[in-house]
Amino acid sequence: MSEIPQTRSSLLVRLRDPRDERAWAEFVEIYEPVVYRLARQRGFQDADARELTQEVFVAVASAIGRWEPDPARAKFRTWLFRIARNLTVNLLANRRKGPQGTGSTTIHELLSEQAAPAGEDSALVEHEYKRELFGRAVERIRGEFRPSTWEAFWRTGVEGEEISAVAASLGMSAGAVYIARSRVMARLRETIERFEDG
Amino acid sequence: MVAGPSGCDRNRLKLLLQNRLPEDGQTEVESHLETCEDCCRQLEKLAADARWWDDVRRFLRPDQVAVPPHAPPIPEGRTSTDTPAGGSSASEEPALDFLAPSDNPAMLGRLGPYEIVELIGRGGMGVVLKGFDRQLNRYVAIKVLSPHLATSAAARQRFAREARAAAAVVHDHVVAIHAVDTAGPLPYLVMPYVAGQSLQERLNRAGPLELKEILRIGIQVAEGLAAAHAQGLVHRDVKPANILLENTVERVKITDFGLARAVDDASLTHSRFVAGTPQYMAPEQARGEAVDHRADLFSLGSVLYAMCTGHSPFRAESTLAVLRRISEDAPRPICQLNPEIPEWLCGIVERLLEKDPRDRFQSAGELAELLGQHLAHLQQPSAVPMPPRARYRSAAVRAAQRRLVRRVLLGMLLVLAIGLGATGGALGIRLALWRSAGEQEAADNVPADSSPAAAYPRAGPLSSLASETDPLRSEVEQIDQQLRSLEAQFKPSLEPQGGDPVGGLLRETEQQVQRLEREIQGEVP
Repeated sequence: MSEIPQTRSSLLVRLRDPRDERAWAEFVEIYEPVVYRLARQRGFQDADARELTQEVFVAVASAIGRWEPDPARAKFRTWLFRIARNLTVNLLANRRKGPQGTGSTTIHELLSEQAAPAGEDSALVEHEYKRELFGRAVERIRGEFRPSTWEAFWRTGVEGEEISAVAASLGMSAGAVYIARSRVMARLRETIERFEDG
Repeated sequence: MVAGPSGCDRNRLKLLLQNRLPEDGQTEVESHLETCEDCCRQLEKLAADARWWDDVRRFLRPDQVAVPPHAPPIPEGRTSTDTPAGGSSASEEPALDFLAPSDNPAMLGRLGPYEIVELIGRGGMGVVLKGFDRQLNRYVAIKVLSPHLATSAAARQRFAREARAAAAVVHDHVVAIHAVDTAGPLPYLVMPYVAGQSLQERLNRAGPLELKEILRIGIQVAEGLAAAHAQGLVHRDVKPANILLENTVERVKITDFGLARAVDDASLTHSRFVAGTPQYMAPEQARGEAVDHRADLFSLGSVLYAMCTGHSPFRAESTLAVLRRISEDAPRPICQLNPEIPEWLCGIVERLLEKDPRDRFQSAGELAELLGQHLAHLQQPSAVPMPPRARYRSAAVRAAQRRLVRRVLLGMLLVLAIGLGATGGALGIRLALWRSAGEQEAADNVPADSSPAAAYPRAGPLSSLASETDPLRSEVEQIDQQLRSLEAQFKPSLEPQGGDPVGGLLRETEQQVQRLEREIQGEVP
C-alpha cells in the first residue's frame, strides 16, 4: 500500500501536536490490516482489498482538516478510530449493494455520518479491530515474561485449558499458574488501556 | 473454601501482581492460593475484570472464526489463501436478489413454494435460509448454492446428484432432505429446520464437553455415518459445524452429506482453493487422494478430539500448514490437554487419527458399538462390564512388536547359517526343500491381504504387514512350528556331540519366540 506513507507525510504537516502524529502512525499500523482482512473476508481479491484499504485511509486523511483540537470534544485518536470504523462499515455496506459507485461525493457522505452504525457490519469491524489490538499487545509484552509464565497464561486464558492440567504439564503448582496468568493479564490490560487512552 | 483471616490478604495479592512481594512472601501466597479459591478469583479480578478474560479468549484464539455474536457465520478460514473459493471481484455478501417478492411484507421474499423468513447463515457453499412451507405448515431450512458455484452445468449436476444420494439416507441422526430443486437459476435443497446450535458453536461457547456428552454425541454421529456408509455415501466433511445439536431433545444430526464433494469440485476448477476449513480433513483427503468411508472416521476422530479438548487436533496459521500437520504430525495427546478424559477414550481417538486408513477402526458401526459399551458401563458400572481394554494396538506398540519379530527372525537366520555350515550340502538341500514347502503352507495360512513372504527370514520388509486380522500371531505360531520341525531335523545329528552351540541357540531362540508370544497375548485378548 504504497500511497499511505505519502499521505501521511503531507497530512502530518497539519498535525502540530507530536502526540497526534504518533496517534496517526499507530492508527495506520493497526487499522490497515483490519480493513484489508475485512475486505478479504467479504470476498474481495487482493488488489481490490488493497484498493479499498487505500480508499479508507485517503478519506480519513482528507477529513483530518475538519478536525479541530477542542478539549471539550474527543481526542484526535478517539476521533480517528471512530471515523475510520464508520467509514469502513459504510463502505462495506455500500459495496454490498453494488460493487461500483463510491465516488468522492459518496465518501464525504459516508464520512459525515458521525453516529456509529449499528448492526452486523459494525460488530465485525469492531471484532477485527479488537483482534488486531490484542494481537499487537501480545507481541509487545510477550518478551517480558518467562516462557513458562507465558505458556501458563496462554493455555489457560486463551486456549481454555484446565488450570490443573496446565499446572501438571508445566510442573508448576496450581497457585503458580493462577499467579502467572493473572500477571500476564494485568500487563495485557494495562498495555491495551494505555493505547486506547493515547 | 473458607480460609483463615491471616491467609486471605487482598493487599498482598496486589503486591504479588506487581511483582513487589519478597520471594518468601510470594511462596507463602502461592501455597495459600492452592487451597483458597476465593483468593484465586480475587487475584484474577485484580488483574482484570471478567470482560477482559472473555475478550482474551475471543480475540486471541488463533483458530477462532471471526463471527461476532448473533451474526450469521461467515466462511471459515482467515488467511488470504483460504478466502471463500472462487472469490470474484464483486462482494460475496449474500445478495438475496434471487428471491421472488412475497405477498407477505414480513417475509424476505419467496423461493419456489417457500416463504423466506430470514437468512440463518452462510458458508463455503452458499447461503442458508429459514423458510416456511405453507402447504405443509412447517418451517424448513433451505440451502442455496452460491452463484459462483452454480455457473457450470457440471457443478449443478453434481450438486443435484449428491443431494439426491444424501436424500436416500433416512436415519435419526442424519438431517433429512425434503426436496432438491435444480430447475431455477440457483439450485437449492430443502431440509427440516432444526432449532438448536451446531457443535462448533457449542465448543466456541463452552469449550470441552463432559465425558458422557462426548460419548453420546460420538455414538450418534457414528451411527448416522454408519447408515450413510451402508448406502455407499461418504460425507467428506465431518466437522463440528456440520453436527447439529437439537434444542430440547438430546439428539444429534449430521448435515451436509456429500455436499463437500460437490462444492470442492466446483471450487477447485474455479480457483484451486478448497472451500472452508481443512482442520478436520483426513490425510488422504489433504493429499488429494481417493477417499472412502474411513476418511469420515478420521474426521470423526478429530471431532471427538475437539470435544475432549475444545479445539481441533491440527491447528496452524494457514491452510497449507494445517494440511501439512494433518499428513505429518501426531496431535498432542488428549490426556495431556484434559486429564479428565480416560485413557481408553484417548486410545480410541488415536486409533481413529491413524494416518493410514487401514490402521483405523474399519467401520463407523464398530466404533458406535464400542462407544456404546463404554457409555453403558459409565451409566451402570455394576450391570455392564467395561469393554475389553485393548481391542486395538497403537502404531507404536505395533512397531515395537515388529521389531521384536525381526529380532527373532534374525536369530533364526543365524541358526540356519550355522546349521548349514555344520551339516553341509545335503542338509542344505533338505532345508531349501523345507523352506519352499513352508512358503506354500504360509500362503494358505496367512490372510490374503498380508504378504506371505514377509513371514520368512529371506523375504521382504516386515513393515509391509497389514494389521487387520492380526497376522503377527499366526506368524509367530508358524515360526514356532518351523523351529520345532527344524530342531527335530537337527537333533539326531547334533545331540550326540552334546552341548553344542547350535542347539543352545535354537533353544534360546525358541524361548524368545515364546516370550514374544506371551507379550502379544498380553496385548490382544
